[in-house]
Amino acid sequence: MSASHPPEPPEVEYRRPPWVEPPADVVPGIVPVELILARTPQRAIGLTGIRAYPTGFGCTLHMRLREVIPGEQSTFGAFNMLGGDVDPAGEFADYYLRFGVGFADGRKATNLDHRRDLDEVPAPDPPTLWLVRWEGYDRLAWEVDVWVWGLPPPGPLAFVCEWPARGIPETRAEIDAGLVLAAAARAVPIWPDHAAP
Amino acid sequence: MVPGVVPVALLVARTDTHAVLVDGLLAYPTGFDFDLEVRYRPGRPRHHRPHPREWHELRLEVRFADGRSADNDPRRWPRLSGGQLPDPPLLYQSVSGPDGGHVWLWGLPPPGPLVFACQWPALQIPPSQAELDAGLVLQAAARAASLWPEKTPP
Repeated sequence: MSASHPPEPPEVEYRRPPWVEPPADVVPGIVPVELILARTPQRAIGLTGIRAYPTGFGCTLHMRLREVIPGEQSTFGAFNMLGGDVDPAGEFADYYLRFGVGFADGRKATNLDHRRDLDEVPAPDPPTLWLVRWEGYDRLAWEVDVWVWGLPPPGPLAFVCEWPARGIPETRAEIDAGLVLAAAARAVPIWPDHAAP
Repeated sequence: MVPGVVPVALLVARTDTHAVLVDGLLAYPTGFDFDLEVRYRPGRPRHHRPHPREWHELRLEVRFADGRSADNDPRRWPRLSGGQLPDPPLLYQSVSGPDGGHVWLWGLPPPGPLVFACQWPALQIPPSQAELDAGLVLQAAARAASLWPEKTPP
């Protein structure tokens, strides 16, 4: 190495794009939402725990089987884990659980949106929906944490799910988006002296 | 069941470079689960990332107001035989990694302070703790909804 080379700048903490995960430097405000989105004699889908940040919100999907169904134990048969590449008109589309959020101004984000390159430039327009954690506890329970980038405008905030192959028709539940906005305003910076880069 | 939501996220530890949160607290009649989140301060020079053999050294202990406690040290797991159940509380961390993990705590706390304590020498996080009112967990557990109420328990 030549002495004339400038020193390498220090490597800084890598941050994934804001539409992929919540900000690392904020404690979220919580909305104690507990919804049963869908329920059939054998299957149910719940949604709980909105965790609100200045840039968006997260929540948890609870998928439950009433009893073991062979072949469906761990991943509930099908869920579009990576958030894309499902053709809603395609041959297998009915086998995927479809989940999304709808804002009062008509914008929406779903797990059927096409998968995006993490380094996509320019960033997609909010809202976007990304799955950040999934875990199965036994053959009857499966949970998925969702991150929605972009806060909703005032008005109704809708959660919609549909699973045609499992007998779950399109089902919609709404909450007041003001609850999410108020919780986002309660979010606390972890390092309040931190200057944004 | 669909759990009840504990409407609090806790900042358990904070250093100049890292923070540990207890977030996503969800309560059932038999216990509660949560995310143990390690946050890396953005914009700072990249820090030492814990080696996989250090992932399990992020110590977490949950203390009840009556003196009982549970932690994520698997060496302290009770030795059980057959279908014998351990005495609650029991802490099971299903995921461990550089960003923390997911925790199931079997057993509900009595009323009073519920303490979360952690330390992680690999990241120079000293013993730290935060507490919340256990009543929030008990109220959330009472709101947990049975999905098939007519289901006969085994």
